[in-house]
Amino acid sequence: MISIKLWVYVLRRILILIPTLIGLTLLVFVLVHIQGNNLILAEYINPRLTGQARELEIQRLTQEFHLDQPVYVQYFYWLGQVLTGNLGYTNTPIYSGPVTTAITLFLPNTVVLSLFAALLIWLIGIPLGVFSAVNRDSPADQGIRVFSFTLYSMPIYLIAIALILLLGVYLNVLPFSGEVSPQMVAGLSWFRDGISYPTHVLLIDAILHGDYAVAWNAFLHLIMPSLTLALAVMAGIIRILRASMLEVLEQDYIRLARAKGVPERVVNNLHARRNAMLPVVTSFGYTVAGLLGGVVVVESVFDFPGIGYWTTQALLNNDIGGIMASTLLFGIVLVLTTLILDLVYAVVDPRIRY
Amino acid sequence: MERVKERAKVLEIKDLRVSFHTRRGVFKALRGVDLELYKGEVLGLAGESGSGKSTLGLAIMGLLPRNARVESGEVLLDGSKDVLKMLRDYGSRDVKFDPRKNEKLIKRLNKELREVRGRALAMVFQEPLTSLNPVLQVGYQIAEAVYYHDPMRLVRRAISRNRCTQADLRDLMTTLKTKGEEALIEEVEKRNLRGLEEQILSIWRRQDIHEAKKEKLILSLDKHKLDSKDRLGISIYLRGLQRVPVLGRLAKDALIKEGYRLAVEILTYLGIPHPEKVVRMYPHELSGGMRQRVVIGIAIVNNPEIVIMDEPTSALDVTIQAQILELVSSLKASSNRSFIFISHDLSVLAEVSDRIAIMYAGKIAEVGPVKVIFEEPQHPYTKMLMDAIPTMDKTELKAIPGSVPDMRSPPKGCSFSNRCPFVMPKCKEMEPPMVEVSEGHKVACFLVGERK
Ligand SMILES: Nc1ncnc2c1ncn2[C@@H]1O[C@H](COP(=O)(O)OP(=O)(O)OP(=O)(O)O)[C@@H](O)[C@H]1O
Ligand SMILES: [Mg+2]
Repeated sequence: MISIKLWVYVLRRILILIPTLIGLTLLVFVLVHIQGNNLILAEYINPRLTGQARELEIQRLTQEFHLDQPVYVQYFYWLGQVLTGNLGYTNTPIYSGPVTTAITLFLPNTVVLSLFAALLIWLIGIPLGVFSAVNRDSPADQGIRVFSFTLYSMPIYLIAIALILLLGVYLNVLPFSGEVSPQMVAGLSWFRDGISYPTHVLLIDAILHGDYAVAWNAFLHLIMPSLTLALAVMAGIIRILRASMLEVLEQDYIRLARAKGVPERVVNNLHARRNAMLPVVTSFGYTVAGLLGGVVVVESVFDFPGIGYWTTQALLNNDIGGIMASTLLFGIVLVLTTLILDLVYAVVDPRIRY
Repeated sequence: MERVKERAKVLEIKDLRVSFHTRRGVFKALRGVDLELYKGEVLGLAGESGSGKSTLGLAIMGLLPRNARVESGEVLLDGSKDVLKMLRDYGSRDVKFDPRKNEKLIKRLNKELREVRGRALAMVFQEPLTSLNPVLQVGYQIAEAVYYHDPMRLVRRAISRNRCTQADLRDLMTTLKTKGEEALIEEVEKRNLRGLEEQILSIWRRQDIHEAKKEKLILSLDKHKLDSKDRLGISIYLRGLQRVPVLGRLAKDALIKEGYRLAVEILTYLGIPHPEKVVRMYPHELSGGMRQRVVIGIAIVNNPEIVIMDEPTSALDVTIQAQILELVSSLKASSNRSFIFISHDLSVLAEVSDRIAIMYAGKIAEVGPVKVIFEEPQHPYTKMLMDAIPTMDKTELKAIPGSVPDMRSPPKGCSFSNRCPFVMPKCKEMEPPMVEVSEGHKVACFLVGERK
């Protein structure tokens, strides 16, 4: 599978990513800077300075950030900085400091959240889609269809609120705010200012330190946000999978599998599902895009300190460093996942060759 | 033809009626088919497009689609097993036909017939190009057929090969050369190496290589030992742990791997070049002829009693067609299996069949030994079909005038009456009964009844 051709293909795809990312960041850069220089100044200037000192500082910053130049020139200065690894500074209520540090603090949490969501999708969404198609028109199928259609038509924050009301308030079985109950982590040596060490993922850090009560608490806090994300994504997957399963089950090769005497379980879960997953994988690019947007909403609703939460804070506080960096980051994640999905597609569908 | 009578019936179809319920109406595809299949024969089934040949094949397999209603009739396997009972019990009821209910029954039937399909009864479908799963390797698709029916065969093969020594192989080789295949099997049995004989014989029976090469291949069988992962998988299987999640996976992998070796043997037998490479390929990498042979390989790998082949040659060019026909003949000769060979091409059927059944509009018009059908056809439709076969000395081909009746409302009486040159008034009133004109030769036509 891994041939020279494949590498050439990957390289070509990565080269195409560059103009995409430039376009994306340029757009956001211009939008942010359209509001004039005051925003930038507000972020970097020491608010305590007045009079002469303040004027001097403004002059210095104007020089440093080339604020007297046109926007597109400023953009290329910014790009030059990014290419040398300097993403600038972020200044939000939850963190102030270099953007690169902010990313190392917040990204791991988001990765863990997404992995949990992916796991839930895998464990619930895919079997539901298959089951629904295999038992088509049964009451269970009808139920699953209503369920997925309802989810499909709900915006993600509505799903979040519904879950909070149901599981958090009404049944009162799951926590729905933050990554841990504050009293659990009070006074812990490895948890300072809302940040845990060394991996910055509370669940993992607690396990590393052998503090399983905290780990369990952190795990409970993960369930609702990841379930919300999973449900939002699952809706589409169930619908696509059901439709493609129904189509695949009519194919001649399924009839042949039955003619061979392959057990129904294997007919459905191997012969049919593997083919039916192909459109799901294809559509996954859109799913990931939705997921990234979903992360921002979900982390904000649940006060979950991940990259999405930080992004919201940056937006609310006109934090240009944060906005530009998260735009870049989300862009990279999106284009890389589409690339990876293309490669995955070649693995699951032997007919695809590069 | 007395021999035909004495042979055991392996399959009996009685008054089978199947209709398809579609939005455009109810198509009566089978309207009372009576047919039997004897052990060790090839029954050719001919008829125009739409006459119900494939439907009959699918009905025998219990693989009818959800919109197919079994209105009456039986398909008896080995004289007792009533394949379609469940569907008929529903289809013969006087209620509005609901494909969804039918589908539920079909699902149950799939479970019930799992053991039979692929083992006692196999079918090669009319569509060879779309019959293989595009995302599974060819070798897997063959191996799996064995894995789900006779996993111990794979275990025996693997263990016996693992256990045999060079000395064993030399002795067996000598036995085979001096005393023949029967003696080899006995000797293998004595040495407790069952499973090795089929591997030796599959090399020995090859026709594409000369003897010295065969010997060399047989003597090198002991080089292909199991690795530790396979041994682990097989011992898991032998301890009955194949249902345990992770362990089961190991067991299946090991047995399927052995199945790939078996697949290579089958593909070699079917004349596919470079079978070791082909088993690792996916269907789209194979030509139509190769795919057709893979599908045939899947059908015969478990040595089923009955193989239904639905137009196995129509999609192929003439040379490959000839190879496949030869294959069927040699399979029949070597295994005493029974075949139903479906084709609309009578000249193809003439080559392989012992008996021929002519189908018209969902019924058997005439059935009899191949010679009788070709030399003394009785039914006007059969006669006209014969005249339509192109041969060297025929100057003109006679097409049959008229067209097949609309199966939504087949004519009252004989369904051929609207095209028949000898049509009589009563043909339009009553359906002609099947009359036996000579030993094993039956015709459904009033003309024949008249003469008697
Ligand atoms: N799934 C189905 N749904 C509806 N009608 C069907 C279906 N399958 C077959 N039929 C109809 O049943 C009749 C018999 O079809 P069948 O495929 O058995 O014919 P055949 O003799 O195999 O023809 P051919 O030589 O073209 O393969 C035809 O009228 C066909 O239109
Ligand atoms: Mg057909």
